[in-house]
Amino acid sequence: MCLVEVEKSPKPVASCAMPALPGMKIKTNTPIAKKAREGVMEFLLMNHPLDCPICDQGGECDLQDQSMAFGADRGRFTDMKRSVVDKNLGPLVKTVMTRCIQCTRCVRFASEVAGVQDLGMLGRGSGEEIGTYVGKLMTSELSGNVIDICPVGALTSKPFAFKARNWEMKGTETIDVTDAVGSNIRVDSRGPEVMRIVPRLNEDINEEWISDKTRFCYDGLKRQRLNDPMIRGPDGRFKAVTWRDAIAVVAEVLNQVKPEEITGVAGKLSDAESMMALKDFINKMGSDKVLCEGNGPNPPADIRSNYLMNTSIAGLEKADVFLLVGTQPRVEAAMVNARIQKTVRATQAKVGYIGPPADFNYDTWHLGTGPDTLVEIAEGRHPFCSILKSAKNPVIIAGAGLFEREDQGAVFSTIETVAKKFNVTRPDWNGLNVLLLHAAQAAALDLGLVANPTESVKSAKFLYLMGADDVNLDNLPADAFVVYQGHHGDKAVYRANVILPSSAFSEKEGTYENTEGCTQWTIPAVPTVGDARDDWKIVRALSEVAGAPLPYDSVAAVRSRISMVAPNLVRVDEREPSVISAEVKPPVKQQVSPAPFKAAVENFYMTDAITRASKIMAQCSATLLKK
Amino acid sequence: MAFTMRAVKVPPNSASMAEARHRVFDFFRDACRAIPSIMEIYNLDDVVTPAQLRASISQQIRKNQGVSDPKVIDMLLFNGMEELNNITEHAKQRHHIIGQYVVGHKGLVQDLEKDQGSSEFLKKFYTSNY
Ligand code: SF4
Ligand code: FES
Repeated sequence: MCLVEVEKSPKPVASCAMPALPGMKIKTNTPIAKKAREGVMEFLLMNHPLDCPICDQGGECDLQDQSMAFGADRGRFTDMKRSVVDKNLGPLVKTVMTRCIQCTRCVRFASEVAGVQDLGMLGRGSGEEIGTYVGKLMTSELSGNVIDICPVGALTSKPFAFKARNWEMKGTETIDVTDAVGSNIRVDSRGPEVMRIVPRLNEDINEEWISDKTRFCYDGLKRQRLNDPMIRGPDGRFKAVTWRDAIAVVAEVLNQVKPEEITGVAGKLSDAESMMALKDFINKMGSDKVLCEGNGPNPPADIRSNYLMNTSIAGLEKADVFLLVGTQPRVEAAMVNARIQKTVRATQAKVGYIGPPADFNYDTWHLGTGPDTLVEIAEGRHPFCSILKSAKNPVIIAGAGLFEREDQGAVFSTIETVAKKFNVTRPDWNGLNVLLLHAAQAAALDLGLVANPTESVKSAKFLYLMGADDVNLDNLPADAFVVYQGHHGDKAVYRANVILPSSAFSEKEGTYENTEGCTQWTIPAVPTVGDARDDWKIVRALSEVAGAPLPYDSVAAVRSRISMVAPNLVRVDEREPSVISAEVKPPVKQQVSPAPFKAAVENFYMTDAITRASKIMAQCSATLLKK
Repeated sequence: MAFTMRAVKVPPNSASMAEARHRVFDFFRDACRAIPSIMEIYNLDDVVTPAQLRASISQQIRKNQGVSDPKVIDMLLFNGMEELNNITEHAKQRHHIIGQYVVGHKGLVQDLEKDQGSSEFLKKFYTSNY
């Protein structure tokens, strides 16, 4: 398509490969150039099926656009077209390999960005095919991106196959909440239904990729949804009731328990608005037991730099040595892992890893499995120390899974010793990072939802679960009254006495802070399901009926309340770096326990209520996680 | 509704309050006499009793008990007769009758009365998310 005519040149020249010289006369729109382009187009279409009407790429197909712009208006081709056997790339990517034009973008993506050598070119000449060499599946957590980069309909989305055309969908630019990265996405919806999720460019966070969990979790938004307020009757079954009744029941119970028996738990998908409302409400009722799941017994909430990714995600590219402590970024935050793999690929950065055996798509040095290795490094006894010492911009990434450990204070102070010793934190470079696990975590720590989960749950007579499914309810007193506010009938619903349905991230306006401290908003793409309400509104309504009304009636008012507590949460699309360094911390007297680090995420594909409800994610876990 | 117009003659204005009052009672009697046939044509036996309908009619009339101008009373009576005519001529459907006279105007939103004293926010919250 880049052919142009150059005066005094016998043939049209490819402009992309020809340096422009002084005095050159270039014509871009002459019959010769056009004819030459038509010829190229004919070659491209020689082996390409003319099945655009039944092709999922139709309407957003690069080849279609090119042939509309440059192609001839009639075909001269009468021979047989070649056909290629379709490959099975797993439950996510559908292949129609006859349509492939051998651009090898997918191969490059797989080896350069995803870091897996799964795709390749087989055969030569007209026998050339794209495939996974020995009939393997494509096992990458980023495999969905080949759908976007394939210019034609050779690689398309399997769950989305034949569901919708791209021109009948409405795109809403929002963010993802399935992990703590906050990838920028576009939610394509038709009417009230989310049809697909595609990435949006944000160089600082996810570049132009998203993980498979982000891309394919959307069918979970249609399953297992709670759509009516429900009360559990004496027979143990749920009965749908009106909001008025449900809230009245909750308020009545609330006014019967003692203030210190009230506990509120925010879930991993909660937005800042609802967490603010929950915290204000529980505090107004006289209790300070508000927490966010995943933050552990004693979260380091006082200093922001203690729980954020201080280098920023894009800043990881400057690093030359990584030390991963108890974190498996590949499953915890696939986009952060893609950054590390990009850096490793570009600069041969060294990666040391302490934790249980894990899967990496770049070379790592597995230093050990527990805190003792960390202590060895801190004391300078480990061979990895020499690498750390020679590093210019060393980076330590500690997993948020460590928050759950009893000795987290000691572990983190050991990490700080390592950081100080090897110049990881200096005035011009703060390489001490924490990689969070959940979308709600950073905002929860900013807002101060920091109660101890074990104790709060043990003493609770009234437990308010705001989308929290992964809190341990074993110690909950049997007579405790549990309110579950959430969008999915997930784990915690089994114990709930009252269900209050709320809206999911695709249906509400919410503030989320990602692991590097960047505040972003979700934008509602589709209407709420059934009789559900936004999370903060439910808390606000309940507070009024319970006799302790919260002083805000609109999102704007909630946000101005948030700005009093954590002003960074209202500065959207900005990364607020933390200013105070960790120096001011009191000394830790705890001892590190020898227990090895545990994996924080067991199943990459199913980590929260939405992904657990998704059928596609279930298929992925069944086929792709098979050992 | 041409046929209604034909059926309802506009009577001359009431000369005095007493005459207007008399006409109201006449109208009430007419309406009560129509109840059995209304019950029948609209198939209301399983939702309401004649007594309830009577009470409903008197309630409608009492709603205007403060009116003291005979001309206004004449106008209201005319409206009432027109309505009665429409009903007896089956110009309405069953759900109209049930909605207006059986369940009452506030029928389906009766719950709202419980929200008296609660804030605008809460009232909106109970109706919808938006
Ligand atoms: S990206 Fe698509 S067209 Fe290009 S080689 Fe891969 S499958 Fe073929
Ligand atoms: S529409 Fe172009 S390959 Fe299908």
